[in-house]
Amino acid sequence: MKKGKLRVNERRKTMSVYFQIEEYHRPRDLAQAVDILSGFGNRARVIAGGTDILPRRAGVKKIDNINHLVDISRLGLDYLKREGDHIFMGAGTTINTIGASPLFLSGPYGALSDAAGAHSTSTIRNRATVGGNLCNASPCADLALPLLVLDAILVAAGPEGKRHIPIENFFKGVNYTALNNEEVLVEIRIPLCSEKTGSSFLKLRRHQTAIDMAVVNVATSLNCRENRCEAAGIALGSVAPVPFRAKKAESMLAGAKLSKGIIEKAAVAAAGEARPIDDVRSTSAYRKKMIAVLVRRSLESSMRRCGQ
Amino acid sequence: MKKMDIKIHVNGDWYELAVNSGDRLVDVLRDQLDLTGTKEGCGEGECGACTVNLDGKAVLSCLILAVQVDGCTILTIEGLQRGSELHPLQKAFTSESAIQCGYCTPGMIMSANALIYNEPEPDEDTIRKNLSNNLCRCTGYDRPVKAVLKAAKDMKGDTNV
Ligand SMILES: Cc1cc2nc3c(=O)[nH]c(=O)nc-3n(C[C@H](O)[C@H](O)[C@H](O)COP(=O)(O)OP(=O)(O)OC[C@H]3O[C@@H](n4cnc5c(N)ncnc54)[C@H](O)[C@@H]3O)c2cc1C
Ligand code: FES
Ligand code: FES
Repeated sequence: MKKGKLRVNERRKTMSVYFQIEEYHRPRDLAQAVDILSGFGNRARVIAGGTDILPRRAGVKKIDNINHLVDISRLGLDYLKREGDHIFMGAGTTINTIGASPLFLSGPYGALSDAAGAHSTSTIRNRATVGGNLCNASPCADLALPLLVLDAILVAAGPEGKRHIPIENFFKGVNYTALNNEEVLVEIRIPLCSEKTGSSFLKLRRHQTAIDMAVVNVATSLNCRENRCEAAGIALGSVAPVPFRAKKAESMLAGAKLSKGIIEKAAVAAAGEARPIDDVRSTSAYRKKMIAVLVRRSLESSMRRCGQ
Repeated sequence: MKKMDIKIHVNGDWYELAVNSGDRLVDVLRDQLDLTGTKEGCGEGECGACTVNLDGKAVLSCLILAVQVDGCTILTIEGLQRGSELHPLQKAFTSESAIQCGYCTPGMIMSANALIYNEPEPDEDTIRKNLSNNLCRCTGYDRPVKAVLKAAKDMKGDTNV
């Protein structure tokens, strides 16, 4: 225990409460967390790093209508390990921990460290978790894209025990996932890839050095043997209600001999699969153009990382 | 609304506080502990004015509930000073004229303090990236970058968080 005098400070009478939350819960284990969530139904919400649910959006405090917050940040869900044929990532692992991990420096998983580095600022990344990034289900969630091309399996715990959800079936709509209200995302499993795989992530912002969500973001992976592509993954963000895999573009690459021409064609095909909207960050037309550019660059970079 | 008793270690002392579930750390620091050095700018995680050190890491106190940091160690700008002497970062920010209105300064210094704690000899590029956590609308960044470079050199790894 840290040294220091013990002081007691009374709350000042004029101090107002910022958020109208009825109760904050700190469950001692996962079972209790699920119990609390089940007991309060949609009046309860999980809080991990809090960097999505605490900030106001357009002046509105999002958590004012949530009566019960269930803090899962002390349930031992912060871990990264490579065992057997998977990498296991606790849902409570912070973005900075992922960015600093040597596990993701090499070719096959490089997209993860790229995405962690492009997420917000280091002050937010010290709190923000990968689980929160996925469960918030923003169309531009940065970590969703590398995990999509890496075919991650998400493990959710609920009243009936655990279930596995392939990440492709996880995102259902803007801020809407396959999780039930009483479920907690506990783990992300990444199947180990062959050493001949390379992956990368790219993000375009309005201002490349500023904190901002993406105008468009993409992740790609390539598994190649002597310039022949055995499998390809292309995931697109910020250009549809959910982050998704551009399957048509992927199938153009699978089995093909990799060349500048085929990569360019696949990138254009990926842009064709995007359904972007106009918003404060960009127009739909610009997003489409930029998808083709980013996918091309990312594929080139994934190719360089193959076998690294 | 349910109150909760928490115990937090702030600038060298333990505090036992009764807080509301909906109190943010920035409000408890400023209004309950009278540590008004920590500023609130945007309240949305964008500006960095509210940066403090939490268990050795720079974090935004506007995006943390006080109840979440029960049992944790917090350092604010008021806790940096060593006895009656200013901390090397505080000295460098004044000697390098890295302060104009000063609203962003506590946040910048706490962000830099955690950086130097975790990486005692940061290069200029690392410092620039780190200070991009903090918005400054008057001084700009060149002088703060120089100040952090100087402080890191003066501190020679003698850090506190
Ligand atoms: C200034 C700023 C900049 C940002 N920049 C970026 C950026 O560049 N890229 C980006 O992708 N995001 C960005 N974000 C958004 C946010 O930081 C991330 O999405 C972050 O990863 C969320 O994690 P968290 O732990 O803080 O989530 P929380 O806010 O704790 O939770 C988010 C949501 O997920 C739910 N949840 C969290 N964990 C679980 C779990 N284990 N099981 C079930 N439900 C769960 C919560 O109930 C909540 O609905 C930014 C946010 C801010 C404020
Ligand atoms: S007040 Fe916390 S980041 Fe602006
Ligand atoms: S000195 Fe005024 S905002 Fe930085």
